[in-house]
Amino acid sequence: MARHRCALALLASLAVPATGGAQAVQSATLRRAQQAYDNLEYRQVVSLAHAALRERLTGPERARAYELLGFTYGALDSILKAVDAFKQVVLIDPERQLDPNRVSPKAYSAFDVALRQVLLVRQLRIDSTSFVGGRGAVPIRFTVTQPARVVTRAIGGAGAGSYVIDSGAWNGQVNLSWPARLANGDPVPAGNYTVVVEARLGQNTFSASQPIRVSHGSVDTLPSLTSLPGYQYLPETEVPPQSWRPLGLAFLYTGGALVGTLGLESSSLGSGSKRELAVVGGAALVTGFVMTLRRPAPRPAAANILYNRLLRDQIARRNQDIAKENMARRQQVQLTLVPLPRPSGAAPR
Amino acid sequence: MSRAAAGVALLVLASPAAPAQGVTVTVGPQFALASYREVAAGLRYQGTGFGGAVSARYQKLSAEAGVVRVTLDPAIGSAATSGFTATEVNAWVAYDVAPYASVEAGFIRRTTDPEFAAQSVGAVRLGARSFYEIGPGATVLFRANYLAAPKFSGGGRAPFSIDLGLGLDVRLAGRLHGTAAYAFQRINRKTNPGGTGEIDAPIQATAARVGVALAF
Repeated sequence: MARHRCALALLASLAVPATGGAQAVQSATLRRAQQAYDNLEYRQVVSLAHAALRERLTGPERARAYELLGFTYGALDSILKAVDAFKQVVLIDPERQLDPNRVSPKAYSAFDVALRQVLLVRQLRIDSTSFVGGRGAVPIRFTVTQPARVVTRAIGGAGAGSYVIDSGAWNGQVNLSWPARLANGDPVPAGNYTVVVEARLGQNTFSASQPIRVSHGSVDTLPSLTSLPGYQYLPETEVPPQSWRPLGLAFLYTGGALVGTLGLESSSLGSGSKRELAVVGGAALVTGFVMTLRRPAPRPAAANILYNRLLRDQIARRNQDIAKENMARRQQVQLTLVPLPRPSGAAPR
Repeated sequence: MSRAAAGVALLVLASPAAPAQGVTVTVGPQFALASYREVAAGLRYQGTGFGGAVSARYQKLSAEAGVVRVTLDPAIGSAATSGFTATEVNAWVAYDVAPYASVEAGFIRRTTDPEFAAQSVGAVRLGARSFYEIGPGATVLFRANYLAAPKFSGGGRAPFSIDLGLGLDVRLAGRLHGTAAYAFQRINRKTNPGGTGEIDAPIQATAARVGVALAF
């Protein structure tokens, strides 16, 4: 009997040393329960742990109290009660894990059963990584304890956007790859994001999150062209050389009127004085002479207009190519992703 | 005449709104010189007067109208004993069929005072014109119109009637234009007085109008 108690004490001391030492327990009742557990006084552990749970405890203290109950019920072969206690533990601390080499098989199996009965997203891990946009991905790992619809999102960034990374039915260990690109191929904007994994099973939901920082490397983009080397725009109007054309045209029009008048004059009415034609024709000829001396008005240069249009089209085509090249360069930017410390606060819902 | 003046005034008032609609309008007064011959070489008149002209252009469509009132007195050596006053109204609408040519239609109406001192004429104009910009802001114009369906106050008919014109428009400064127009009119009128047979009673008129115009 004494050997049996001794073995149990050894097993118990191996089972829960880490949590006992990790957190300073403020509750005296909980400390007494821990002491009772160390002394293998299980009945006392049960009553003291329940008493402690009726007190105002911190989250870790409550987890510790339930854990003591789980181990104790396991030692007392009350497996169902042990499972219930461990369910409370993982609900308070979803990341809680037991070392199968250091706890009793009964307690471990009860803990494992508890995990399978509660919907949890555990062990969300995003590693630091760096890759060229479009040629790599961010590995995201997590564990879902029950078959559930799981939606993984990245929320935040410069535009406070929400990017769906994955949506599917998962159970157990899940490995995702996030290329960190938008639908158009651009990398997600640099900034701080929170990767949120939300599991839903019926009315039960659970989410876990991990803040990350996405930063971009520098991108050397090409400037747009405003001109082509060696090619310059030509003036689209040109001043024609001075000529006698205006006076010639004035002569032509005035001569037409004179010939018409002379030709159509009635022979029976006799020839008129032509003073009216002299006034207007003279004005036309003087105007033609003045216009001959004046610098001609600029007129559109069709060849230059065509040349400029071709040049503009060529520059626009080159700029389109440059824009495509710049877009490709921006998409192939070096992305660096670093996980950030998680903010304190309970994740389960 | 008063109705014509009111029309010109209305055009002047409405013209500031024209450029916004792509319409170019010019309007202005003119001084006129005129000669008139009728029936025989001895019946000839000369005189001066005043008038006004207005024109508008919208893309390929253009319109032109003018009114002139001339006091004609017997010329030196004329057999006529007294003069008369002639009022002539001309109007055209034209459509550009080429960069330098238009087809046009319109009418002419010339009335005299006293009424039977000379023939009053009304006719439809059908013809074409050619215009060319010989320099910045300077355009010359040549016009040939057939005067169709002429009517005379003294009766008769005219199997052949023609009107030739020479025009000049020069932009002097800004909106101010100088205008000059010459018109030669030959009407082969025939009458049949008392049913004794047709006799020739031709009409020949020339006019020169010089003026300024404001473009809007």
